[in-house]
Amino acid sequence: MAEDGEEKLLATVQHIVQTLGSSDTMTEDILRVFSNYDGRLSLDKLYAARAAAASAAGGGGGLGGGGEHSMPESPTLPLPPPPAAAVSAAAAAGRPPPVTSMERTVRTLDRQISQFVAMDRLIWADSADADAFLEAVDDLIGTVQELEAAGTNRGLFDRAEELLSRCMARLEEEFRALIERPDDAAPAAPGGFRSDGSDDEEDFGGGDGYGDEPIPIAKPVTDYDVVIDALSPGSVANVHQIARRMVDAGFGRECAEVYAAARRGFVDESVARLGVRPRTAEEVHASSWEELEFDIARWIPAFNMVFRILIPSERRLCDRVFDGLAPFGDLAFVAAMRTQALQLISFGDAISSSSRAPERLFRVVDMYEAVRDLLPDLDPVFADPYSAALRAEVTAVCNTLGSSIKGIFMELENLIRRDPARVAAQGGGIHPITRYVMNYLRAACGSRQTLEEVMEGDFGAVGGAAAAVDPDRPTSSLAVHIAWIMDVLHKNLDIKSKIYRDPSLACVFLMNNGKYIIQKVNDSELGVLLGDEWIKQMTNRVRRWSMDYQRVTWGKVTTVLQTGGPGVGGLPATAMKQKLRMFNTYFQEIYEVQSEWVIADEQLRVDVRAAVAEAVMPVYTALISRLKSSPEARHDLYIKYTPEDVEACIQHLFEGAAK
Amino acid sequence: MPVTEHQGSSSSPSTFSFGRSLLSLRRDHVAMPSGEEADLEAFQRHFAASLGELLPGEVEGGGGGGGGGGGGEEILSVAWIRRLLEAFILCQEEFRVFVAQARRRGALPAAGEKLVVEFHERAVKALDVCNAARDGVDQVRRWERLADIAASVLLAPGEIHEGQLRRARKALSDLSVLLVDDTAASGSGGVASFLASHRNRSFGRARASPSRASFAGATSATSSSHFRSLSWSVSRAWSASRQLQAIGAGLAAPRAHEAGLAAPVYAMGCVLHLVAWALVAAVPCPDRSTALQAHHLPAAPARAAFPWAPPLLTLQERLAEEGKRKDRRNSCGLLKEIHVLEKSTQKLTDAIDAAPIPLFGDREADVREAAAELAAVCAAMRDGLEPLERQVREVFHRIVRSRVEGLDSSMHNAD
Repeated sequence: MAEDGEEKLLATVQHIVQTLGSSDTMTEDILRVFSNYDGRLSLDKLYAARAAAASAAGGGGGLGGGGEHSMPESPTLPLPPPPAAAVSAAAAAGRPPPVTSMERTVRTLDRQISQFVAMDRLIWADSADADAFLEAVDDLIGTVQELEAAGTNRGLFDRAEELLSRCMARLEEEFRALIERPDDAAPAAPGGFRSDGSDDEEDFGGGDGYGDEPIPIAKPVTDYDVVIDALSPGSVANVHQIARRMVDAGFGRECAEVYAAARRGFVDESVARLGVRPRTAEEVHASSWEELEFDIARWIPAFNMVFRILIPSERRLCDRVFDGLAPFGDLAFVAAMRTQALQLISFGDAISSSSRAPERLFRVVDMYEAVRDLLPDLDPVFADPYSAALRAEVTAVCNTLGSSIKGIFMELENLIRRDPARVAAQGGGIHPITRYVMNYLRAACGSRQTLEEVMEGDFGAVGGAAAAVDPDRPTSSLAVHIAWIMDVLHKNLDIKSKIYRDPSLACVFLMNNGKYIIQKVNDSELGVLLGDEWIKQMTNRVRRWSMDYQRVTWGKVTTVLQTGGPGVGGLPATAMKQKLRMFNTYFQEIYEVQSEWVIADEQLRVDVRAAVAEAVMPVYTALISRLKSSPEARHDLYIKYTPEDVEACIQHLFEGAAK
Repeated sequence: MPVTEHQGSSSSPSTFSFGRSLLSLRRDHVAMPSGEEADLEAFQRHFAASLGELLPGEVEGGGGGGGGGGGGEEILSVAWIRRLLEAFILCQEEFRVFVAQARRRGALPAAGEKLVVEFHERAVKALDVCNAARDGVDQVRRWERLADIAASVLLAPGEIHEGQLRRARKALSDLSVLLVDDTAASGSGGVASFLASHRNRSFGRARASPSRASFAGATSATSSSHFRSLSWSVSRAWSASRQLQAIGAGLAAPRAHEAGLAAPVYAMGCVLHLVAWALVAAVPCPDRSTALQAHHLPAAPARAAFPWAPPLLTLQERLAEEGKRKDRRNSCGLLKEIHVLEKSTQKLTDAIDAAPIPLFGDREADVREAAAELAAVCAAMRDGLEPLERQVREVFHRIVRSRVEGLDSSMHNAD
């Protein structure tokens, strides 16, 4: 009963095929549509039926079809057409070709596939074609496997294999085209068959849901946003279908190569659009820092874009396309983005190996942090053995940038040490190098954790390093290093103080710079790093310089004013007058010079003046009052500075030249 | 000095697996009477020995990997290039030790430090060569992958059938596209034009039919760009030739009265240039063919001037000879394995073209033999190229590190 029904169905189809199929192509199309919808309408059977009908009508042999289909190919093919080869092979074997069902299958597939392979447009431009082709390929792969397992019919196996290689070549082209130009694939049209096909579908009502299977079709992606979904899910599904066939047929390596070649263009262009110019190490070495800063400013976001968005997107795409087809996906993935990844990485290397001028620290820290922060996120992306080398490159550039930061820090020491003591800061004020170094270090503290990590040599040990190193511990590498820099600075300032001829001014200079250093340390994280002990030492030094100043400048003045113990005889009036004259000279000199000097810090200025006043005022007041109370001296006594005048003058010391 | 911790990790024994180990060198140092002259003498002796070991025919033992024949590694084989790079690393290490000792003795005046800086400046120029060579090696690995598809398809058990031939042809055709492009980028023509003619025979397009103008047009347009390989990680305008010139610029033998670092710095400059030249010559890289002109080789020192001059000169001569050889002139790289790959690819292509279907007898044997040859060189490449690439990176990182160290040490010296 069922047999009967099937035969009737086949006959009907055959009839329709003959009436509708005015051209061979259209017939093939219709056959294909049918074959998709109902298992009973296998192409094999249809072809068999058709061949029977044809031979009945024209008396031609079954092989006629085979010779016919290869005709269009022969002009460009330098080799004999494969079917003929198969025939001659069979003939050479000296036996007539028995028309086994296998052979019929191969012949049928050959016919069908040859049509597809000869198509002058994308097979995937029509989803029905694509489906039919894939099914044919599946059949062929199955047939090849069966033939291989049986191992009895070498000629047929070779022929099937030859057919398979043509399928694969075509699939490869489709594969590449779908990846490179996904929009060329068939638009998402529900049941996108030709009208004649769908009519027939109604008539024959496969009705078993076979035809409802959604056919994945690329929808043009309109919103690219930041996440790059270069291919729509539909395209991905299409491409995956092909990849699976190619791997199934043993063409996985070809598939990986063509995938990589197809994606590389996209990756290259994506990176190019990020606006990073490829720079050789030598260009980097020759460029000015301004240019490089500009490049770095572009590099960091580009690096993040590429390693955080583009490459993971590529990974995702690749994983989908090669889903279940490892290791070809891994191979393809690395080959697709390797060059661009290395290109970006090499900029980091070039920067690391270029000049270590201290001003570069901050940008290099930015670069280092970008790479370091990326490292843990790379693990899932570069997990396979093929990407291990790339992962290693990222780690290596992280280390190199880290070393570079270390080197730059050392270069700062160098710079301080070599800063020549040529021009003295005016009025013993704060030297530019003190300002530079302190502000530099303060700014560097903004990246304290990173610097800490780099100094400890834990390049890229994110999180872990932060936990392991107590950043507030003044013995940390960074703290030791900064203390060392402060020491170098101190030595340099000490040398610079020697160029002042006036030792008092040298004291003022050291005081000023010392006080400035303390201030900068106190109101920043430097205080934490250097610690209280260090600040106390520094404060003591400033106090000592202050005392030195008092001694050097005011020592002789107060000595001059000494009148010996009060009451006990005392000095003669002339001697006292002499002292006053000397005081006047000294004081005038000091006042004239030192009112031009500078004490930048308000409090320090007040303190120093107070100390001066404390040392000078009592003895001076005492001298004046003794002179006034002395009968001899009172006579023609000329007081140039009243104690009030002296006091006022002292309050005007260190006002600087701008007074 | 915090930077020294790199040295420990970097002088891993594997790097110096050949010949004498660094340790034994150090022992030599200890055995020598101390002092500048002794150090200089030792440095030059070791330097000469390192170069001497690279001379073909003077290597005993170890058949070495790679496709080279004979006892030791053939010059410009993967294995030989690797030994060359090892020798460079060793020389650089010797140089580092020499400089460090001179500093320790306080025998490095400002002029000496300037020479060290000069060498580092020169070495930095080799960084781009390393990058280009790395890309070149990767490119060769790509060729190998395609060639291996062709070879392994044809070596499958059983008779060779049309499907296999088609597949092999396709792979060879893709390979030829790569070779043509790379050769074009390198700036030469011979093998390329041969392969280009093959390419036009459209291996992979046996399915062609006259009516498919639009699609065929579209695909063939892409298929030429499709396998276009060269996306170098060095920028497009980069030229190996110019770079080599820059590395060799101002490299002149010190005069007799110039003592101290002058001779070692000159020696290092020469070997750096030699290594850079060999890398550029060996693997594809942009503007490679121009770089192979003999005049880009380092200015030669007088043979008697330094103990290391004779082996250096011999190496230079050998390399120049290789570059001039007729059969290699239009190659994508002087690397022995590339040459074999090109030859076997050509042989296989010819064998396939000459073979009617079905294959039998001598014709099949020819194809199989050519495929086996190709498979052998592919296997050698698979084994050798990855370590080579890693070693090129190692040289790169060494140069970067030595630069860091050079600066740091000079700073502490100034204290």
